[in-house]
Amino acid sequence: MNQALGKSINRVLQSKSYVVLLLPLLIFVTLIAIYPLFFSLRISLFDYRLTDPNQTQTFVGIQNYLRAFKDPVIFISLKNTLIFVLGTVVSELILGLGLALLFAPETRIARFVRSFLLIPMALPPLVVGLVWKSLYNADFGVIPYYLKALGINVGRGPLGELNFAMPAVILIDIWQWTPLIMVILLAGLKSLPNEPYEAAYVDGASRWQSFIYITLPLLKPTFLIAFLTRTIQSFKVFDTIYATTSGGPGQATTVLNFHIYTVGMTFFDMGYAAALANILLIVVAVISIIYIMVMSRQQY
Amino acid sequence: MIQKKSSIEKIVLIALSVIAIIFFMMPIYWLITTSLKFGRDAFLLPPQWLVFDATLKNFREVLSVDKTFMYIKNSLIITSGTTVLSLILGVPAGYALARSKSRLVGNSSYFFLLLQMIPPTAMLIPFYLIMRDLHLIGSYTSVILLDTIFDASFVVWMMRSYFADVPKEMEEAALVDGASQLSAFFKVAIPLSIPGIIASALYTIIYSWNDFLFALMLTSPKTKTIPLGILASFSSVEISWGKMAVMSIFAIIPAILISLFLNRYFVQGLTAGASKG
Repeated sequence: MNQALGKSINRVLQSKSYVVLLLPLLIFVTLIAIYPLFFSLRISLFDYRLTDPNQTQTFVGIQNYLRAFKDPVIFISLKNTLIFVLGTVVSELILGLGLALLFAPETRIARFVRSFLLIPMALPPLVVGLVWKSLYNADFGVIPYYLKALGINVGRGPLGELNFAMPAVILIDIWQWTPLIMVILLAGLKSLPNEPYEAAYVDGASRWQSFIYITLPLLKPTFLIAFLTRTIQSFKVFDTIYATTSGGPGQATTVLNFHIYTVGMTFFDMGYAAALANILLIVVAVISIIYIMVMSRQQY
Repeated sequence: MIQKKSSIEKIVLIALSVIAIIFFMMPIYWLITTSLKFGRDAFLLPPQWLVFDATLKNFREVLSVDKTFMYIKNSLIITSGTTVLSLILGVPAGYALARSKSRLVGNSSYFFLLLQMIPPTAMLIPFYLIMRDLHLIGSYTSVILLDTIFDASFVVWMMRSYFADVPKEMEEAALVDGASQLSAFFKVAIPLSIPGIIASALYTIIYSWNDFLFALMLTSPKTKTIPLGILASFSSVEISWGKMAVMSIFAIIPAILISLFLNRYFVQGLTAGASKG
């Protein structure tokens, strides 16, 4: 057989088998993810309440979206979401860097501690929420007890007080996800080149100086990835809120995701819930696309 | 670290390490000791951290209830179903994305990254309605399908970067010897990528085992998973922290085993998105 012909036949076969390998997932994703998202777009244009015995769906155009702009809870939950995302991500980046530096050495103890620090992020967020809820309990909880010993009285417990609920929920998230930042930054630290440090040492730079002028700038891309990863995850928070405060007291910890859940799954106001979900989807998609652009640039 | 640290620095570092370890381990330690305490002791203040009457009473009580085994069984079914389906769909697709020379196919991997980022409620609302029309609410299938969307997207992403690091030469040698592309994938690429597959599987296991929201909406009393079981025991009339703690121990066993004994694979999964595109 002619060699060139053999090659081109092989190439066709090759490309076809790639399709065979990719196709099952593409079909699955189209049916299970893409179709529901279009379905959601349709539902969001209807007034559709599951509580209605006749299950009528009335076309209302973009009414549901307009309604979102008049919904006072939307603004509260948007504000809460931003506070939550900012509060968690910023603290986790700072503390995560601390953890990474603290436990970076390849000693047996550091390795041992690092494996234990993986546990929080592998735990079910619901369990984490319930454990912290117990720790925060006003009557029997360990945390209010020690706070009282320090002279700080938190009345109905941190989760029950308007001013403390959000910080208390943020602290739970910090507990669970700071180690993830550590893991990501450690991967970045490990891939740093040695030469700049040696050069700096020869030039008489202190360890602090080489940290500020070499480590931090070189870690910037890793930081950006960690920041965006956590931001996207933080927007998704649900289980922790459900387990601890159910959005309360009042609406002090009602984040967007939780509000959507309440509208859809408690009030069964599906059209409006779908509209809200689509708005959140767009917000997250914009952040995600920025993330992907940053990541794809890192390749080159 | 090239320069020597002073002893004051060392003390500060050790102190900070100890504080960090106490902070991150305290809630887990509290949970485990609470599961071993008598009801009256669980509420004692000041809390008994180190010395307390240990008992397996809570475990015996929880294990004497049939529902406990039902929750565990349901969690196992949903987790294994999701993991197997995610790997079957995700591993070949990851290979195709890594090996295809077409730009379009290569860039489509970002689509799977995007899928993972969809807020769960945005997917859940329409999915719930579709499952309701298909009379699949309360089935394992509905939870497995929705979990698999997120987990298979992760597996594709993870495996694509893993396969990209596997040298092509061995597959090409197999192709020259007359093997088809498919058999090169199954007989050469897969065996070389076992660690990547393990990392993907662990990640999938953790996230489907931990899922709460999807199970909350899509399961019936008969298909409830462990997290829902915990909630049931937590909100029952007589709140028993001991029982809640025991159920929670079942829920956290995979997390602890994987973190302590398979951490190399787990970390690989966690940094798959971060280290390379």
